[in-house]
Amino acid sequence: MKFVRLRTTLLHLVSLAITCTGFSQVSYAGVIDTAYLVDQESRAASLARLEVMLASEKVAGQLESFGVDSALIAERIRGLSDSELLTLEKEMDRQVAAGDALSLVGAVFLVLLILELVGVTDIFKSI
Amino acid sequence: MPAFLVFVSACASIPPRVGELQAGQAPIELDDTPFFPQRQFQCGPAALATALTSSGADVDLQALVDRVYLPGKQGSLQVEMLAATRTAGRIPYLIDGRLQVLWAELSAGRPIVVLQNLGVVAIPRWHFAVVVGIDTERDVVILRSGTDRRRVTGLRTFLRTWRRSDFWGFVILRPSELPTAVDDVRYLKAVAALENAGRSEEAATAWRTALQAWPNNPVALFGLGNAALARGDNLAAEALFRRMLEAEPSSAAARNNLAMALARQARYEEALREIGIALQANRDPALDRELQHTKTLITNMSRQRASDTQAEP
Repeated sequence: MKFVRLRTTLLHLVSLAITCTGFSQVSYAGVIDTAYLVDQESRAASLARLEVMLASEKVAGQLESFGVDSALIAERIRGLSDSELLTLEKEMDRQVAAGDALSLVGAVFLVLLILELVGVTDIFKSI
Repeated sequence: MPAFLVFVSACASIPPRVGELQAGQAPIELDDTPFFPQRQFQCGPAALATALTSSGADVDLQALVDRVYLPGKQGSLQVEMLAATRTAGRIPYLIDGRLQVLWAELSAGRPIVVLQNLGVVAIPRWHFAVVVGIDTERDVVILRSGTDRRRVTGLRTFLRTWRRSDFWGFVILRPSELPTAVDDVRYLKAVAALENAGRSEEAATAWRTALQAWPNNPVALFGLGNAALARGDNLAAEALFRRMLEAEPSSAAARNNLAMALARQARYEEALREIGIALQANRDPALDRELQHTKTLITNMSRQRASDTQAEP
């Protein structure tokens, strides 16, 4: 009996945490989002509330590490769909950030490539 | 080495279905499209400001910098461009990347945000720009791009730079608009994401737009029901979920939300009966957890109500 009550309390705490967290995409307790009906990907994401909550916290951390002001983070995350959040959590490092910046790594590579082609280096040859 | 060279040169060819326009299509240019010259690395916010303003949204460039610019990456992510469009109360709709679609959207008065790679694969230079015109006689595309109010780029060059992003682009829809070549699932998904972003009023308008195009579409009925719940109109929500259940009697999700609409009217017995039917009909284990959770929630609501009534003198 005591165990059941403890479990119920825990369950309530978790649902409270999910409902109250600033990053949560969950609109209203007990109500299923329309995204659930749309496609397989959104369906899975819209029911994975705990995962979405954890993902938004991780994405928040990533945004902060890329220099986003912490006061702006909740607002930025709010616009993302659940499935976008779950993707971003896994792939933020690999995502293209468009801003006209030239990739230095790429430039170095191209210089090496030209040097190789004109015979100055032999760096790409397997030994 | 040779493999690498093949990879680079593969980018030069454009699939015909992407580059073709129907014969006789007149040149088109949206001269009135506003222009926000970009500051360093901030083509994302600038392109977004251009397209949002042209959709009638009231936006401020600095606010968009705060929403989409990532200082540590010196650029903006595609998904954040979509997210910021939603928080401005508009619908970002990903287009099929083809000239024909660009031309049709321009004809409907909508410029298109595109992602280009102005460099090469080895030295990428990713860039957001806004297509505002296609001159079918001179074979050029007109863009709001970087610090150029009117950049004219040859069609072939444009297609080559666009190809490197897999022809990625989106238009910004007002909640009352449908795109020209509309894919219903993609549109409904885009509106569901707007609901997710907390813009339920705009989402409601968009669901109505969808219902005009596809009467009795179950997703749109469900979405409109959710919007009614969000503004506290439980009677309207109840009617909409019932309408959806007429179209799809086995939808456990609709029954779950109908139960919530009833519970919020203090009709707990009816609500629990609906949840019971939903639990029996449901085949999705993840949804089962959700239904159980709703059942607990409604039971607690009704107990709370009972004890409140008892406590009254």
